[in-house]
Amino acid sequence: MHRQPPARRRGSGTLRLGLLALLVLLTGQSAAAHHSFAPFDLVREITLVGTIKEVQFTNPHVWIQVLVPDGKGGQVEWSIEAGAPGMLLRTGWKPNTLKPGDPVTIVTHPARSGATNGLLVRVTMQDGRVLGPGGPPTPLPSRD
Amino acid sequence: MGRSRSDWHPWPIASRPLCGRLRTIVPGRALLLRVSVVSALLATAVASYAPALSAQRRAVPDIWGVWMGLGGVADADPRFRNTPFPADPDFTEWGAEESRRLASPITPGECNPWSPVGLMGASGLFPIQILQGPNLIVVHHEAITQPRRIYTDGRRHPPNDELLPSFLGHSIGRWEGDTLVVDTVGTNGRTRPLNGYVSGAVNSGVDTAPRFPASDQLHLVERIRLVGAGQYLEDVIAIEDPKTYRKPFTLKRYWQRRTDIDLQEYACTDNRRRDAEGQER
Repeated sequence: MHRQPPARRRGSGTLRLGLLALLVLLTGQSAAAHHSFAPFDLVREITLVGTIKEVQFTNPHVWIQVLVPDGKGGQVEWSIEAGAPGMLLRTGWKPNTLKPGDPVTIVTHPARSGATNGLLVRVTMQDGRVLGPGGPPTPLPSRD
Repeated sequence: MGRSRSDWHPWPIASRPLCGRLRTIVPGRALLLRVSVVSALLATAVASYAPALSAQRRAVPDIWGVWMGLGGVADADPRFRNTPFPADPDFTEWGAEESRRLASPITPGECNPWSPVGLMGASGLFPIQILQGPNLIVVHHEAITQPRRIYTDGRRHPPNDELLPSFLGHSIGRWEGDTLVVDTVGTNGRTRPLNGYVSGAVNSGVDTAPRFPASDQLHLVERIRLVGAGQYLEDVIAIEDPKTYRKPFTLKRYWQRRTDIDLQEYACTDNRRRDAEGQER
């Protein structure tokens, strides 16, 4: 049903489904969603190893264009959707954190349609830094 | 992140009402030239404004500033946790049907303003900024283009036939001791569900809980106050909507004061793409 991604794939199981359901119950994040993320398979993750082609650090959502070797000497371009720029700024990103040509490892929830796009789970940079799709910033300690 | 000016005040709260009022009722030159007229005006002004002035000059809690919602923040202070929507909502027939309709992955109108419940939803994803004046409190939400205006000048809601239905409704507030009590009516019933669209944000997962619609009969009574030594804001939201729900329900929402965060621009219709399902992203 899904097109084989040109990179190594990581499986998922009922454990992950359960954890995600629990996460939703705990977080109640859905009220803040810009729109539905139903087009993505939120219980499946795949890993892409490639290089950055372009980062569109724009509203309403940041897009990361990644070139991934297809194993036949060519490259496939993936479009990876992250959160809003404000969310990313509050969680360690800068607009120029990723630059064209940067090697990256990206874990993504792939589109159900099989298209080469996905929802960002995390990106690991060459220096080992790991950044997420933009969630809550770290809270401050209580002072009372 | 460096310390920002988001907690900056243009003037001390206690001095604001007096300056504003006198400037509007006493033109400067007239005071010198036409003392008797102005005296009469002043007497009238003092008579009509004195009770309001004394009430407003009484110190009220300072809620000015940027606040970050604590929904979904795993390591937040456990005393200040948002409460969930009811697990088993008591829908009317219309409400149940509307809930099913809104459970679609296609989300038209997602760039419209949200409901006041959504704006005060206190998720950890977007901050709000409160601008607190003596007669008006304005709440900005990073992801919503429309500000929420809460009138605290003693006015009432307009009569029904003069009330323009709107996404955020008409909100009036008054201070009861340390609590800001806000009453909201006049919503247009065309907003996204109160608990957001189905199937979560970028950092959550699958969401199969029922959607909570709101009709134009939505009526909110909110009790907003500082808690946690003034570092947290609590909003207890009593929600009734007889067209949608057979009985009212209450939500509690919490934010943390953040002087280190500024609101960013959010332009919902800027760089959008259409996915394979036809949904503009």
